[in-house]
Amino acid sequence: MSTKPNPGFFKRNPPIAGEAEAIERAKAGDADAFSKLYALHKRRVYTLCLRMLGNVSEAEDMTQEAFLHLFRKINSFRGESAFSTWLHRLTVNLVLMHLRKKGLQLVSLEETINPSEDDAPKRDFGSRDNQLAGSVDRVTLERAVAALPPGYRMVFVLHDVEGFEHNEIATMLECSTGNSKSQLHKARLKLRELLRQPQNLPAIEGFSEAAR
Amino acid sequence: MKDISTNLDNMTPAEFEEYLPELFEAGGGKISEDPRFTQFFKTNPDCAALVRDLETIAEQAKSLFEPTGEDSGPEPADSVWSNIASKLKDAPPGNEDED
Repeated sequence: MSTKPNPGFFKRNPPIAGEAEAIERAKAGDADAFSKLYALHKRRVYTLCLRMLGNVSEAEDMTQEAFLHLFRKINSFRGESAFSTWLHRLTVNLVLMHLRKKGLQLVSLEETINPSEDDAPKRDFGSRDNQLAGSVDRVTLERAVAALPPGYRMVFVLHDVEGFEHNEIATMLECSTGNSKSQLHKARLKLRELLRQPQNLPAIEGFSEAAR
Repeated sequence: MKDISTNLDNMTPAEFEEYLPELFEAGGGKISEDPRFTQFFKTNPDCAALVRDLETIAEQAKSLFEPTGEDSGPEPADSVWSNIASKLKDAPPGNEDED
């Protein structure tokens, strides 16, 4: 796919020491360079897969697929975006393809327009009862994100965590930008609700509870 | 999106909530610091709290992007790289278009 470079991503994804050289060597087929690129990016790619899939085994399978895909296509990387942006977009597309094969409707129209009572943010989201008590630590937020309905979680991870723009998300999820914005807003409202009672959030597979 | 610029002080909380997704998108996520809403937030503290909370969530989400440290955070099993390495031996890098 072709997307114009997003300057914000160069700020958020600054070049990593040794990365450019490893990319050039990998393009020439240097096995050590592939190993270096894997070492540099495995955590982020795996975490992205884990957040999108919520399952360690599937996340590892998709991490493997993403890097195999990367290495097959590395000669087509032209540096028009940060390498990690390019890699993450490639990973997201592979995960979405995987989910589509499984038959999961990613941004369900029904969920958007008429969410189930349990899944949708409550209508009194402006009320004082829903306010957060204070700051939010990353482990608690990670658990709350994992507890989001899939459609909300996908858009939240892609926009607020990964930094994709709504037009990019709309293309990836095959929905409108308005739908992407609406899902994101509902996701944040739902997170606010979930974060009000962090003791009720389940622990999540694959993430350390110690990394606060 | 409706034009709210001429009607800020008369806006109801429900109307404000309706505009929020677009406001966040247009304001780069910092509505709480937008002087156009100072008076509205004074008279609608619940809306001010809502905005503050959603900004906190969006801001903290950015921290999830970065691994927590060199030796922490989720990491794939060693077998993932073993599988990749063995498959790479059979398939050299290609030129399929992606960028």
